[in-house]
Amino acid sequence: MGFIKGTASFVRFGVEGELPENIWDFIADKVVSFAFRDIDDTYDEYSLGWVSVLNMFDTEFEYASYAAGNYVTLSMRLDERKVSSTIVKKFVQKEEERVKKEKQIPKIARSMRVEIKERIQNELMRKALPMPAVFDMCWNLENSTVLFFSTNKKAQALLEDLFKETFGLTLIQQIPYLCGEHVLDEDDVDKLDRITPEIFL
Amino acid sequence: MDLVDLIAEKRFIGQEFLTWLWWKSEERGGVVALPGEGDIVVVFEKHMLLEYGEGDSNESLICRGLQTELQEARTGLVMGKKLEQARIQLVYNDYEWNFTMAAALMEFRNVKLPKTGGDSGSSDNPEEREGMVLERIFLFEELVRVVLELFRLFLQIRVGEAWRDELKKVREWVNNAERA
Repeated sequence: MGFIKGTASFVRFGVEGELPENIWDFIADKVVSFAFRDIDDTYDEYSLGWVSVLNMFDTEFEYASYAAGNYVTLSMRLDERKVSSTIVKKFVQKEEERVKKEKQIPKIARSMRVEIKERIQNELMRKALPMPAVFDMCWNLENSTVLFFSTNKKAQALLEDLFKETFGLTLIQQIPYLCGEHVLDEDDVDKLDRITPEIFL
Repeated sequence: MDLVDLIAEKRFIGQEFLTWLWWKSEERGGVVALPGEGDIVVVFEKHMLLEYGEGDSNESLICRGLQTELQEARTGLVMGKKLEQARIQLVYNDYEWNFTMAAALMEFRNVKLPKTGGDSGSSDNPEEREGMVLERIFLFEELVRVVLELFRLFLQIRVGEAWRDELKKVREWVNNAERA
């Protein structure tokens, strides 16, 4: 967060691949196709897609609201149903006790235990409310870079996948070595490849 | 080489840059001359994180406090630790940023943008809103641009003949921490 307001943490990605000539039509089409789909009224475990950076409920992007100058600004929204392992354990034990009593058996067979665990997990998952998480990104079309406003590795991996799926383009995190390749001339890049760590004392 | 290997093998480049920048900023009392741009203010402040070792044997040392108290962090350098994170104040063209640089991956953390007249995201007018968003993008990108210029300055020295002399000066500065 922090792209629109307040303090922000971000990393940079380079965008690799070719965009078609009619860039904005292509983007409009793709963004809508991969817009976030609500799962509040379904039993889906998770949903991932694009929303407006100003409003996480806006998946219509009226008047191409994601466009700002030569930039595409979007938020990646992830809604996920999660149940803590402690809760699963509790309800599995409870169910096992009930089954033992009902069938009047001292011990439950392994296969039945697996079945109970799966069933309880599914039931609890259906009851869990989807937890939303929103991550902003800003794509500079002119120099093919993306600022992604999260340093969370899992979120970065999700962005790389969603970006690839949506636009068919690959994101490469701009670590210092790769930045070096961009800021140095050719001869110096060769030298950069050969340097080894230095000791500062 | 794939990106995962590249990150591990070239991790030192970002950390050496941050260490060099710290020395460079202290060399002239918080001012660094950027070729073609003139003097800019780069001050290391309040918070630093140093690393030692790799993988499972990785240790870290966190130093907090005012500038003068960062002496402890320099002593960490003497012990062979590497500077991984630092809180930096950067002033350029009347803009002031405060941010934490995480060196190995060049992450910009807790970036405080320069104060401007606008208040992003609060307007209902789409044009005004776009203007505010563009202003924030400009300020983020300008920070990145200046940091990359500093990085270029470092790399040109690091891969060139001048590095031996530069390294001597950095080592003197690091070793002085022990005597200070």
